Amino acid sequence: MSRILITGMGIITAIGSSVEENRNALVKEQGGIGQLEFYPTAYAGKLPCAEVRVPTEILNKKIFGHPDPAITRTGLLVLHAVEEAIKDSGLLSEELASVDTALIGATTVGGMCLTDEIFRDAQAQDKGSPYTSSYDAASSTLDAQKRYGILGEVSTINTACSSSANAIAFGARLIRNGIAKRAIVGGADSLAKYTINGFNALNILSKTHCAPFDKDRNGLNLGEGAAFLVLEREEDAAGKKRYAALSGSGNSNDAFHPSSISENGEGPYLSMIHALQQAGLEASAISYVNAHGTGTENNDETESRAMQRVFGKVPPFASTKSFTGHTLGASGAVEAVFSVLNIHHQELYPSLQFKEPIADTGLIPVLHHRKETVNHVMSNSFGFGGNCTTLIFSKA
Amino acid sequence: MLYIHQTRCLSPQQTLDEIDLNRLTVSGNGKLPVKEPVYPQIPPGVLRRMGKAVRMSVGIALPLLQQAVQPDGILIGTANGGIEDCIKFLNQIIEYNEGLLTPGNFVQSTSNAPAAQIALITRNRNYNTTHTHRGLAFENALLETTLLLNENPEHYYLVGAVDEISSYNYNIDRLDGCFKEEPVSNQDLFLYDTPGTIAGEGALMMLASAKPSGAIACIDAIQTLHTREHALVKQMLLQFLRKNKVDPAEIDLLLTGENGDSRLKGYYLDAESIFPDHTALARFKHLSGEYCTASSFGFWLATDILRTGQVPAIAVKRATAKPCKKILIYNNYRGLQHAFALLSQTG
Amino acid sequence: MDTAQLKQRVKEQIIQFLNLTTVKPEDIKDDEPLFGEGLGLDSIDSIELIVMMSREYGINIQDPKEGRKVLANINTMVDYIEKNRTK
Repeated sequence: MSRILITGMGIITAIGSSVEENRNALVKEQGGIGQLEFYPTAYAGKLPCAEVRVPTEILNKKIFGHPDPAITRTGLLVLHAVEEAIKDSGLLSEELASVDTALIGATTVGGMCLTDEIFRDAQAQDKGSPYTSSYDAASSTLDAQKRYGILGEVSTINTACSSSANAIAFGARLIRNGIAKRAIVGGADSLAKYTINGFNALNILSKTHCAPFDKDRNGLNLGEGAAFLVLEREEDAAGKKRYAALSGSGNSNDAFHPSSISENGEGPYLSMIHALQQAGLEASAISYVNAHGTGTENNDETESRAMQRVFGKVPPFASTKSFTGHTLGASGAVEAVFSVLNIHHQELYPSLQFKEPIADTGLIPVLHHRKETVNHVMSNSFGFGGNCTTLIFSKA
Repeated sequence: MLYIHQTRCLSPQQTLDEIDLNRLTVSGNGKLPVKEPVYPQIPPGVLRRMGKAVRMSVGIALPLLQQAVQPDGILIGTANGGIEDCIKFLNQIIEYNEGLLTPGNFVQSTSNAPAAQIALITRNRNYNTTHTHRGLAFENALLETTLLLNENPEHYYLVGAVDEISSYNYNIDRLDGCFKEEPVSNQDLFLYDTPGTIAGEGALMMLASAKPSGAIACIDAIQTLHTREHALVKQMLLQFLRKNKVDPAEIDLLLTGENGDSRLKGYYLDAESIFPDHTALARFKHLSGEYCTASSFGFWLATDILRTGQVPAIAVKRATAKPCKKILIYNNYRGLQHAFALLSQTG
Repeated sequence: MDTAQLKQRVKEQIIQFLNLTTVKPEDIKDDEPLFGEGLGLDSIDSIELIVMMSREYGINIQDPKEGRKVLANINTMVDYIEKNRTK
């Protein structure tokens, strides 16, 4: 079975509306966390977030010309990223509108970013808003399916923060098993009162810029964004960009608690081990880890322990959530794009806001951008419900 | 290919422990709710937090998981997850103006709550995923299970589906034109040529492997499609049969998700037209009601029909004398998401 | 309301707030740990009880460490409520 290559990518986050813009920000070490400008919530000005700096109406006009009244911000972020990925990979319209093309999306919030609208529609008697079929998780994936007429397998995955990592792994599985020739895979989430208030109720949002793996870290910052990758079989990638190969994935469940990871990071440990097994790699082959690194007390400590268990000597690692915030359902795919960029440009990205290591582990992340020989990158995503997924990307 | 070894189906009808499809449970106010059983295996400390969808799915999964060896993975399809908990949290946001809120509803509302809770209670650290793609959430979970079995032929998996009727979600779907405007009972669902259907809910859990020994049914193939074009649906159904080397005449039963909605009838008539008169026809949505993962009820019914060789009278649209060994399921959700599945007897 | 009545009320509120359908107020001993052993509540419950203290008694506990001390058992909870309630 030939390898699975990434032949195109698209992304929009708080640090840029394209792959190039995102990379520039990572290289220049310019993070995107700040106070909310566009999203109407009581927490604007109090809880730093990483907002995509493009208002919804502008996203809508850019994609549709005449704005589509029924599409949510999540849907627009998906379409923006999918469009870039498709253009980047050079996929033709007849290739898209074929049974051989799969589209696997992911989201946790979906259309519930329209918190006030769903509340009104839930009780309206006679007339609903234009969004009555846009609230669920599938809606944003269906927006992309409709736009490109995709006739192959289409799905939407929601496993909390590991959603789009699982979407990527599922797309690769479809190709490996001959169900699809190519897969457009990724995810999106937009800022929502639902998640701002939900995470705040769990006391895991930071009032300052998050500091992953720092001993004084005190929570995460929510972000928003979308990222999609085009996966194709190596034999179909002649003449195309070959950014990297997806060489392995691992999926496990921590099975400890609904919203926190076990003390010795059993779920994360298992997903990393499974991914290495699938990729046929020793842990020592990993050049760099894009950590889940949310900046919460629980995650960063348990993830550190898990990494120590897997690697012994932990390779260079960082959390790019210090740039983009935690983009929830999009984070697996956002960080997959960054991991592919590590390989394509042979460079490492830093973790921002870090000052001092966690006493028990002593682990220090990469602190500045640097060029480096990068052969294999591991990207980790650990979510609520114990859903842990690891992806490994390798030189094409 | 996927072999089904055990199933548990919680539905508005009597399908759980003592299966009895001779009596139809009648809908009320356009809804077919599930009458929940007691769930002795869910620890009370955990049960107290669960919304209906999580309770139903976890409650029927646990008895299947008392084997010595844990399943190698848990795959669930659910379009809405714990939607009622989601609405409760939204209510808190509005009522307390984004003030101090309790997180319990938020944590239980996520789509992956069923799969996560099953793993948590049984301490299952293996593969775990949730598909949430509206009317194809269950088929996606089944398809992924098939692929996992291709790659790991020694494994076995728990695969299932759940969705609940929540009062708020029902209202949003109603505003979206999903349900009949006039009061129609499930007994008369197919008698009125009007738009809309009735709401249902339910959960299904199955143990699946790649081994025929001891299996009650086999899912030979699954394919899904997004389109509104009638001609394309028919064309793809024919291609699906051809690709799987099945002549329409070999199908003993076409089981469809016809749901009384006049706007969707054409798709089902087109599907029926492919098959000769000796193919039996049956329907299930007057038993399950319509919901995103209602096709899971259809799959359960198909496995039960393959087990007995007979189509229950209550589901029959066109009877035949032939015993039932090969079934084609065709379902669509609101005319956009279509699924075909081939099932056959084992042994 | 005297201390004994308040203890009874707090027990009822805990049961209602946390949906402890199999527990009766008389099952909760005043000095029994609420978390870990005893009633076996967890971290999500501790957050829920802090919200309950705010909504029912107007008490705002900001520091999680202080919260853990206050919520140790019925006695500590009621003692804190009596000293700090604004409702």
